[in-house]
Amino acid sequence: MRAILIGTLVIICFFVSYLLPLKEAVSQDVKSCLKCHSIKTLHKKTETGETLSLFIDNAKYEKSVHGALDCSSCHPNINLKNHPKPRKILSKNDYVKEFSPNCLNCHPKDALMKPPVHGTIVKKGDIHCSQCHGSHYIGSIKDWKNKVSFSEYCMSCHKFDISKTLPSKEKISLRVNEQEIKKSVHGKFQCLVCHDDFSKVKHPVYNFKDKKQYTAEMTKICTKCHTDKELQKNPAHYALTKTASCIECHGYHGVKPAKIAKSLPENQYCLSCHSRAISMKFKNGEKLSVQVKESEILNSAHKKLKCTECHREFSITQHPIRNFESIAEYRKLAKDMCKNCHQDAVKKYDTSIHAAALKRGNQQSPECLKCHGYHNVTFISKDKIASSELCIRCHTDSGKAFKESVHQLAIKQGKQNAPNCSSCHNSHDVLSTNMAKLGDSCIKCHKEAKTTHMKWLWNPPVRLSTFVDTHFNSASCAACHTKNEKAVLLMLIDRSKNKPLQAEEVAKALNFDTKTLKTKIDTNGDGKVQEQELWQFMSQVKEKFKANLAARIDVLNPNDAHRIETKDKSIKDCVYCHNPKAAFKSKLEINKEGEKSLKFDLDSKALNSAYAIPNIKDFYVLGLTKIKVLDILFFLALLGGIAFPVAHITLRVLTAPIRRKRREGK
Amino acid sequence: MKKVYLHPLPIRVWHWINALGFIVLIITGAQIRFVDSMKLMSFETAVDIHSWFGFVLLGNYFIWLLYYLLTGKLFKIYIPPFWKPVEFIKKSIRQARYYGYGIMVGDKNPHHPTPDNKFNPMQQISYLMIMVLLIPLQIITGLVLWDPILFSSLANFMGGIQVATLIHTGLWIFFSAFIIVHFYLATLGHTPMAHIKAMFTGYEEEHEDH
Repeated sequence: MRAILIGTLVIICFFVSYLLPLKEAVSQDVKSCLKCHSIKTLHKKTETGETLSLFIDNAKYEKSVHGALDCSSCHPNINLKNHPKPRKILSKNDYVKEFSPNCLNCHPKDALMKPPVHGTIVKKGDIHCSQCHGSHYIGSIKDWKNKVSFSEYCMSCHKFDISKTLPSKEKISLRVNEQEIKKSVHGKFQCLVCHDDFSKVKHPVYNFKDKKQYTAEMTKICTKCHTDKELQKNPAHYALTKTASCIECHGYHGVKPAKIAKSLPENQYCLSCHSRAISMKFKNGEKLSVQVKESEILNSAHKKLKCTECHREFSITQHPIRNFESIAEYRKLAKDMCKNCHQDAVKKYDTSIHAAALKRGNQQSPECLKCHGYHNVTFISKDKIASSELCIRCHTDSGKAFKESVHQLAIKQGKQNAPNCSSCHNSHDVLSTNMAKLGDSCIKCHKEAKTTHMKWLWNPPVRLSTFVDTHFNSASCAACHTKNEKAVLLMLIDRSKNKPLQAEEVAKALNFDTKTLKTKIDTNGDGKVQEQELWQFMSQVKEKFKANLAARIDVLNPNDAHRIETKDKSIKDCVYCHNPKAAFKSKLEINKEGEKSLKFDLDSKALNSAYAIPNIKDFYVLGLTKIKVLDILFFLALLGGIAFPVAHITLRVLTAPIRRKRREGK
Repeated sequence: MKKVYLHPLPIRVWHWINALGFIVLIITGAQIRFVDSMKLMSFETAVDIHSWFGFVLLGNYFIWLLYYLLTGKLFKIYIPPFWKPVEFIKKSIRQARYYGYGIMVGDKNPHHPTPDNKFNPMQQISYLMIMVLLIPLQIITGLVLWDPILFSSLANFMGGIQVATLIHTGLWIFFSAFIIVHFYLATLGHTPMAHIKAMFTGYEEEHEDH
């Protein structure tokens, strides 16, 4: 018994002796670490220059959830034998990133992934454990949850720059600026006032397909308090709520006061909403930003104007709600707006090819806004290259050709009189090439052109400007001043009025649709108007009009007319045109009111046909358009002229004996 | 041998200038038209010569016109006796018969030129047409082609430059054939050179027996 007692005592002593050193060992570990780390000023400089405090407040540490653990539990790689040792730490964040995986030794990742939102953060790995939970003085999450306010609880995560990428690939920031909320009308609200589906224990995860859906859903939150009935009190605002979400005007968290002080200067009053990324919806589903950047106005030609000087139907008290079918319809109004002040410019514009094209439904055609902008209204730059770029945005091929021209070179050389697009085509009353009389445009600058041409382009014995005019009238300047392919363009005209016949009036007179005009001319449908087809068409048109074909030599591709060469490269060889073998293409051109004319490929043989005489009355180019049947007649006449004497002489020779006999008989 | 003074100096000068001009204009006209296949001279040279000679002939035409207007012989020489149409037609047939048959069998030329009646009926009607209609027409259409803008009213009157060109080219064809025939007919005097010599000297020789 005694022996059993002694044995038991020994065993107990053994266990106690085993336990005692263990407790002592833990304490010793912390103590030994704290020998140094209790020094308040102990710190380390990171490579980036940050100060990383190495001080541990033992009292606070002991109160933490990890207070019973010794240092090596979390810092397993550090012991007295290998510490301290010189070590470089790049930055605080780098250190946190390096250290946080140690937490996973006790807190398995699987467990951390269970709460969905926490799981997402852990999975992403952008935010590390200690950034939310702290390092040495980690309290009980349960206690913390109970103690903190709702907002503090939410902000513990949402203060970070966290974001979510939606299936539409749009990224939405989930970061909340606490200061912004505090300054807003909702400054005293806890997060849960609006986000009532969230709580300290509930964090639903929504899967919005895109930002639009997200914005719409978030807007629903507002209507919980700001009911439809309440919003109807202000009709203008109510109507706006149907075209824009609350968030678009009022923002997310920094909600601005609903009432804007009417004492604000007018532009500021308007900008209260319109400085935000708000947009306008159209019946056809199109959307147009109605955001106005104040800086744009201040830098514009209209910087001194009030908003209502253009937007006359709006004021501080009036905000009519308008429903437009489309952006195009809305844009049409802009012209009327501009017309209030810029009457001359709009009047000119109304005669332009752009206005006609727009009227016809060509959405690409510009009105005031496309060139001058909405609110950044500018005077078109005096910089010739910059202002040309405005046209080149749409007329790319012409622009490309112009950039290779002598005119572009002149602009680059800084020549004052160098032309850009508007020099020839005008600015507001922009005309198409066949209407613009481009020769006149050239002569507007090249005033000496006739005199210069008269030096070499003349018929003896007198130098006459009319002879130069003959050439100017029947060939475009580009025909000789570019190297590109040339064509003879035959345009259908009313010779009695000396005006182009319009495709519409021809189609109407001949009782068919303009769209089928091509098939009515090119009856065999081979894509080219043959000689016979042309004359057939002309005979039909002549029954209704005093129709004829005016003609000119021009570049085949109108874009090439912009590629004017230097003077030394221009064509001075008469035979270039005055040649039956000149390889010019031919085109039949029928004008369209305010549009580019219709052009059909034409068999050049038509120019050399006898039918050209009554149908192309006023155009003749020596050699090029000669009537070939006359060549045959010429050779027949020569043959006849020679045949007569030959035949006569032959008969005289054959009848010589008769004459001799007669003489002898006499 | 009888000598008749048929061709006064102004007419001889006019004739030879006209002859040279016609030949040059026909050839340069051909060069302009057949620039791609005829390489006698450049297009520019052909146009220059054609223009110069066109104006020379224009001036020359007025030598002829003024001479005959001032001497009052235009009517006598060029206008057929339209008041005696039957006789004129008979004479014309007789003349044509001579060229087509009589000359072969050794008949006498029915026409005996005098200063006031130098053309036989066929010549008379031909030269009237040529001098009063065709040459003026060729000159006018030539002017239209020389400067279509300066003479645009003429072109419009004719119905466009194409019509002017058609007339000018048509007459070029006619004159090309005519000048060959004219030259051949000029050799049908009592000697091949008789008429040609007369056009230099002014005197046409006529055999007494003619």
